[in-house]
Amino acid sequence: MLSIAVAKGRLLDSFIQLLEEAGYCCQLLKQDTRQLVLEIPEINLCFILAKPADVPTYVEYGSADLGVVGKDILAETDKDVAELIDLKYGRCRLVVAVPENLRISSVQDLDFNSRVASKYPHIANDYFNSRGIQVEVIPLHGSIELGPIIGLSEAIVDITETGRTLKENGLVIIDTIMESTARLAANHISLKTKRKEISKLISDLNSVIEGVV
Amino acid sequence: MKLRTPRGVKDFLPNDARWKYELEQKIHSVFACWSYQEVITPTFEFYDVLKQGDASADQTYRFFGHNGELLALRSDLTTPIARMVATRLKDQPKPLRLAYLANVFRHNDVQVGFQREFYQAGVELMGSGSPAADAEAIALAVTLFNELGVKDFKLDIGQIQYFRGIVEDCTCNFIKQRIWQLLLKKDFVGYETLIKQADIDYGTKELLLDLPNFQGKSEILDQAYQSTENLHARAAVKNLQEIYSLLQGYGIADQVNIDLSMVKSLEYYTGMVIEGYVPSLGFTLCSGGRYDNLSSQFGSQQPAVGFALGLERLMLVLEQQGLKPKVKQEGMLILPYSWSRAVKYAADQRAKGIRVEVDIQGLTRAQAEEYARDKHFAAVVIIEDSTMEMLEVQQD
Repeated sequence: MLSIAVAKGRLLDSFIQLLEEAGYCCQLLKQDTRQLVLEIPEINLCFILAKPADVPTYVEYGSADLGVVGKDILAETDKDVAELIDLKYGRCRLVVAVPENLRISSVQDLDFNSRVASKYPHIANDYFNSRGIQVEVIPLHGSIELGPIIGLSEAIVDITETGRTLKENGLVIIDTIMESTARLAANHISLKTKRKEISKLISDLNSVIEGVV
Repeated sequence: MKLRTPRGVKDFLPNDARWKYELEQKIHSVFACWSYQEVITPTFEFYDVLKQGDASADQTYRFFGHNGELLALRSDLTTPIARMVATRLKDQPKPLRLAYLANVFRHNDVQVGFQREFYQAGVELMGSGSPAADAEAIALAVTLFNELGVKDFKLDIGQIQYFRGIVEDCTCNFIKQRIWQLLLKKDFVGYETLIKQADIDYGTKELLLDLPNFQGKSEILDQAYQSTENLHARAAVKNLQEIYSLLQGYGIADQVNIDLSMVKSLEYYTGMVIEGYVPSLGFTLCSGGRYDNLSSQFGSQQPAVGFALGLERLMLVLEQQGLKPKVKQEGMLILPYSWSRAVKYAADQRAKGIRVEVDIQGLTRAQAEEYARDKHFAAVVIIEDSTMEMLEVQQD
């Protein structure tokens, strides 16, 4: 049996849909449950419902053979996990945004007095460092748009799907750091010891994903 | 004063320290039976020496000596041993079979069974480049884990020259490096994307895309051989074929798989590479390979092969597999109501190798029984001027 850590919420729903299209019946998963571990013997999978940022950790330690998690989280946590396939849903962008009224049009206009609020402090630091821009990155855990509103920061680094939330909070995008989609990640040892099962799942999923694109 | 310990180090309490000691004895005895002799190198050395080693050298703890020279705590034993062989043992007849078991220090992210100070056991077989040397290192690794009682131990072998050969004609070094990085991380999404875009010929592309599937038993080697015309890559496959057939002689080929997509450090390793693991632990248990260029940094070209295992990870696996020994009920607590007789009796028992504690607290019989139970003694011996009574300690 393969264990899969999946972030609860949006990514889980899309993953269930993908599995069902690939012929895996996941009725049990769709029920509203408080259970954190759900075994479905019929399809030989065991689901571990986790917080998104914890998924790479479960996979790195081998507590889960596989994980479904956004590329943004994989890049931020930088855990030692294998990245098997692009699931091509959960598409979003990681962007730098500033309040419209600051009239900043380029990240080059930010300087060493600028503060940047982000849920992605590692990516944000790497991004600004690689461009030679000195800023102070302030790690936050949620509602990043608040940063500029309450005067905590001049800019934010956050993910956006449509840009609507940013717009509603008076923010404009000045650069895109990376594009992200959901990925199927695997523990390095599981990849060796459960190769056949994992290959089967990959080819089943791929047949749906490639059909869509 | 902080009463804690820094992140990444830990204490071994008596039961764990004893277990560790027993495992070390076992490891030493297996190494000795294969004619590997233990060597001990200094805990710290000149950083200039240690930095010649593999990637772990970046993670050394560094500090200044009294004369201002840059020193570092060893981050592995292979580099110090290569230095030692190239200098102090350079005139010794080869090959040399050396073993070690020591603590190493790495300023890395703390992972399971991988602290900032941890214990490594390993061997180096120096002065031979023959496939028989590679096979011996592999066979010793497998035998060691089997003898230690680890269940379901498996070992993957690869050959770094196969990948190197395939990408040989790829002129852009940056792309080569990037392909290697992605394969090392097993970031197959990035790997496929990069290869599809890269300016390399069609055949090489197809082969690189197929490379992650080159895993299995010996039949995969035939396929790998047929898949390329590159002479270095083909020589690498031939080399693995020879090693694999030697392993069949050792009778451990069923525990060994071939994985040609295992790449490891390209600068450090020069041939066969290995990784050992069990299904229940998400991390490798041992790792190693052939590194023929290291000793040339110290002025003496010595082909070499070796592997190392982490002792804490070994302990973790054994515990997971229910193989951590229970605390033994053994030895005796003596109540010395006649001091001279008691001490004499204790000395006699100790000479036989029995654990003996002579009470120094003036315990009563009842207190002694409770104390003996807590301390896992098998018996309480009450020694008076003319009598001696032995009480068996009842276990809970």
